[in-house]
Amino acid sequence: MALETFVVESTISEEAEHYKQIVSDGLTDLVLVRSIDKIKVVITPEETLFQMVIVLRGGLAPIKISDFAQAGVGTFGESEVVIDIENEAYLPQLLVALWAKYGRINVHQPERKTVSVSCEYPLKEVPLIEEMVVEDPQRTLQSRLIDLAIRATPEGFRVRYHSLNGNHFIFVATEDIMKKEWIEQAHKMLDELLGGEPSGSSS
Amino acid sequence: MAAVLEPYIYDGGMYKHGLILELLEDLGGYLIQAIPAASEVTLIMLIPEKDVHLVEALSTKLLGKLKKSPLTGTEIAVVSPTLAYHHLPHSACDVAEYLRRGGANTNMIGLARGMGRRVALSADYERKLINEHDIALFSFGTFSDCIINKKPKLFEGIEIPIVVTGGPDIKTEDIPNANMYIGGIGRVSHRLRKEPELEGLDTMNEMVSEMVDRVREEIAKDPLVVLPVRIMKEIKDQIPEIEHVLTPAPITIQLDGLRVKLPYDEFHERVENIEFDEGLTLSEVAKVMPSKMKNYILIKVQRKSEIGFVI
Repeated sequence: MALETFVVESTISEEAEHYKQIVSDGLTDLVLVRSIDKIKVVITPEETLFQMVIVLRGGLAPIKISDFAQAGVGTFGESEVVIDIENEAYLPQLLVALWAKYGRINVHQPERKTVSVSCEYPLKEVPLIEEMVVEDPQRTLQSRLIDLAIRATPEGFRVRYHSLNGNHFIFVATEDIMKKEWIEQAHKMLDELLGGEPSGSSS
Repeated sequence: MAAVLEPYIYDGGMYKHGLILELLEDLGGYLIQAIPAASEVTLIMLIPEKDVHLVEALSTKLLGKLKKSPLTGTEIAVVSPTLAYHHLPHSACDVAEYLRRGGANTNMIGLARGMGRRVALSADYERKLINEHDIALFSFGTFSDCIINKKPKLFEGIEIPIVVTGGPDIKTEDIPNANMYIGGIGRVSHRLRKEPELEGLDTMNEMVSEMVDRVREEIAKDPLVVLPVRIMKEIKDQIPEIEHVLTPAPITIQLDGLRVKLPYDEFHERVENIEFDEGLTLSEVAKVMPSKMKNYILIKVQRKSEIGFVI
């Protein structure tokens, strides 16, 4: 696994090892391995407490059309922009974005790796299309991160605290009334994980 | 004196499997369930002990496999504290599937409020539903503290034998009110495919079979007035509507009764009036009651000590 740190701790070490598998399955299912740098989970069943801190890998830039395709003016006489796709991975998102902007009737896909957009002034549209953002990994990452937290927590731990501050994610869950020191503990865990760097938490 | 019946599963092609059914009928055995899947068929049956070799010879001829299935004729409740979708796939799914391979009929029961430690509880309806089965298998998680100290409150009001599965190695004695504990099958969020996991499931099937044997011995001390399979056969002969029920097991055999998947209000009188060759009706030898599962009919056969004879 490409994580720098992946620690799961519990009162009994074998049980922690077993739980690590659950977290690891969650990471694989949600394709989070590449986005996470460090992760530490501490489970204290006697106190019904689950703490998880995650340090994300930063620098996930939004994906623009120019990142995976080339846009240009179509054949002479046709007022259209032709987009040649190099990487098909973002094709569905591309179509959705184009439909939203130009309407379904104006977007055609004559062949697998070509999409054409009918518009009045193709020359003006080309730079606009090149700069269009089709996916923001940071946004989908957040929802996947929350999903991971909910999957990894024992089901009954419904009292939850979470904080996402830049690349630092803290999650504490319990069944009883949330104690302040548990949250502080989690913040300390994050500091340790960062190697003394301040976590920059606002709470 | 009735012949001793042995439970077997036949796995083979659809082609000519009717020969096996004919032979079984001639020998006086019973077909409990036939599961067709494309060109394959799985037959769960009870064969008279002395004639097993005949069926074995025929199945070898048809290039099928005949193997013993000690869990046949049991209905097991696989109880999970939760069946929440974001924890899929549950290990309880694999547990239930593996028990089915052993010949058991399993029902998965996800408790509405079974999750957690302090907050875990079961409803009266759920307890009654679980008690309709032969054995309750509780599928628990990873932490021994939870399994020993917190989860056993879910066993309150359960009158049938309780088997517990979980991750850590714990002694059965440490878990209050459990009759058996099987380790190595805790909470996982992937399908159980790896070798040690499958070995754990094999051990589970063996241990559950042991538990079934214990219950069977208990019943043998005060035998049932009539075998549940015989009631099944009479229902099939006397209530033709059962052929139109589309569930996989329209009549589910239990160790001391059976579940008939016909609406209670409409059919209970006809079920009660089922006649045996000896001149008795079913209501004289068994209790026919509404089941907690949908609107099915539950039949519990009475014991020799209650009636005074065995047919």
